[in-house]
Amino acid sequence: MKKTIIMLLSVLLVSIAKAETKQQITIINNGKAGGSYHARTQMYRVGLVAAGYDVIYEDVGKISQAVKMFKETNDPTVMVYSNNQVYKQDLFHTAENFVMLEYQQPLYICQTNRSKSKTSGLTVAHGKGYDTNLLNKVLGEDIVLVPYKNSSAMLNGILGGDVDMMVNNQGMSLKYMESGHGTCRPSDVLPVMVATVIGTNIDVQAIREVIFDITMDIQFIEYHTSRQLVRPTSSWQTELELTQELEKGYDIK
Amino acid sequence: MEELIAVSLGLLAGTVTGIVPGAGVTVAMVIATPMLMGFDVTQLLLFYMALASMVQFTGTIPAVFLGVPGETNSLPAVIEGTKFNRRMMSQLAVGVSAVGSVLGSVIAVALTFLLLSFLVDHVSVFFSNNTKFYLYIFVMGFCVLVYNRGKVLINSVLCLIGFALSLPGESDISSDLRYTMGMEDLEFGIPLMPVLIGFLIVPTLYKIYNDHQRVKQFKGNDVAFKKVLVYFMRCLPSSIRGSVIGYLCGFVPGVNTILATNTSYSVEKRLNRNSPGRQLVASETANNSGQFASMLPLLLIGIPITGSEVILYSLLVDAGWSPFQFDNVANNADMIFRDIVPWFVLANLVGLLVAWPFAKQILRMFTASKKYVIISLAIFMIGLNTYLGIQDYRTVLYTICLIVFGCVGLLIRKHEPVPLIFMFILGNDIEAVFLRQMLI
Repeated sequence: MKKTIIMLLSVLLVSIAKAETKQQITIINNGKAGGSYHARTQMYRVGLVAAGYDVIYEDVGKISQAVKMFKETNDPTVMVYSNNQVYKQDLFHTAENFVMLEYQQPLYICQTNRSKSKTSGLTVAHGKGYDTNLLNKVLGEDIVLVPYKNSSAMLNGILGGDVDMMVNNQGMSLKYMESGHGTCRPSDVLPVMVATVIGTNIDVQAIREVIFDITMDIQFIEYHTSRQLVRPTSSWQTELELTQELEKGYDIK
Repeated sequence: MEELIAVSLGLLAGTVTGIVPGAGVTVAMVIATPMLMGFDVTQLLLFYMALASMVQFTGTIPAVFLGVPGETNSLPAVIEGTKFNRRMMSQLAVGVSAVGSVLGSVIAVALTFLLLSFLVDHVSVFFSNNTKFYLYIFVMGFCVLVYNRGKVLINSVLCLIGFALSLPGESDISSDLRYTMGMEDLEFGIPLMPVLIGFLIVPTLYKIYNDHQRVKQFKGNDVAFKKVLVYFMRCLPSSIRGSVIGYLCGFVPGVNTILATNTSYSVEKRLNRNSPGRQLVASETANNSGQFASMLPLLLIGIPITGSEVILYSLLVDAGWSPFQFDNVANNADMIFRDIVPWFVLANLVGLLVAWPFAKQILRMFTASKKYVIISLAIFMIGLNTYLGIQDYRTVLYTICLIVFGCVGLLIRKHEPVPLIFMFILGNDIEAVFLRQMLI
């Protein structure tokens, strides 16, 4: 009996000690359900819990509010992010906050089959945050730029026959190609989107190892594979340099 | 068995979602996401279908009895349902709405069956800016000419107020901020909930409360199902019209059921000005018909066109679905009629059966303590507004908006607020559609 009590107490004490040493970390969700930011955040959240962290989940759902919270917090915090937001949100990737480059994807230029013979006055759908000067440089001055709210609205627009071309992300462009209504090609001039993880009040090197392991999980691999997302894994330094280089492409002049 | 579980859970979630004011299909999908992550493709589709269908039934109950819209597409049910409520015929209103909803769903299925090959070839017509442009012109015209007994000036002012309220923050065509007056909270625009509460719920509660003062012994009449059917038969042409209008509007991305309900309501208001029953039936029928139609672009060609469908789509992809197989549309169509439609019909029948007793229960509760229900509801709406404000990190703005819009709502309580709310919800999209129409 005595032995049993001592054993139970030991187990209890070990459990308490373990619980006390659990590291606390906040993860901010900055995307809406159904979007990539949200999906990735959920997978990191589950992964961090599995890795033994005491995870505080802040479901903000809007990038600008999330960035504000990220900048103001004094707690160890991580957040998924991407280089196309840095100028708008005034939050750049630095050695202090950069944790990992998760994947990269180019912007695609798609054109409908029926407009292939058209040589001038092409209508081009683009996202509302795109640099129109850059689009004019790439596609010529003799085009009509048509703004859309987001990538899926653009896809609907081109499928509905509104425009002859669209500049869209990889996911929507692949979808468009599946439709058989037109073709797409990745642009080597337009900026490349890089999805990252950033952190604050945290040892970025230590958390990088944890985050990297989470992305090696089958769920994450399936997520990347099903969306044909390219993952350029290398050293932290190289990933940071690449991200910083590519974020310059989103500077609207 | 697994299909039955998915449908049952969807029906349960739909029942709760419809009855809780302010909740909607999107919110329900977000809440249910952890559970849904374990579902396979068919279960996900069935859950969503059952949820979305059931909400259309139960959403009518708070709209008619309490004057509180379950979702933004319940506005006509609130306005016309209140008229039934005043005549102690709330149960009749819920009954005809439920029967109309079933008919709307059946007509939607029949239309899909008849038009399937045409739909597969031409569904993207509904995605075009041109289609949206003319639909908006049509509905805006109705808003100005039909509501408030056709008082064009009043309706125009209401439309302008609604549009003005939709302006602050980012527009749909530019990431530049506008009319925020330096307020950070306004960068995300004026929130929807205070607008709905202020312009719609506050005046409605005020009217119901005043009715209470007049009719001390308020009693709802228990209406036999036969009587409901007889009444419904009188509204049959309106219901069929609503089904067809709702079905077509259901394909319009982003605004499908709102557009379906309001267009059908506006048309019926024009055709049968003094028949709240026909207006109610037409809008509620359009709701269900539009709901089914809105799922077709996703099911046929893998294009989600509503917020809740975007969530569903993401879950479907994670569950291994490859929906955007345009070359395999025939298989998708076969799947709709083999796996979805039978359950859809069942869900609608359950909806009818559930809405009926629930309506009675709520009626009993309401008639027993109307004053307390109104007060509880007012407190609940304030609490809900504050909760959503906290969730949105904009509590102060939500509170200020509620106070301001509540006061204005009371001042203009004699006018129907539909044009204002319609323009507020769709103002940004209308602006973008009109601009694109000029560019294209």
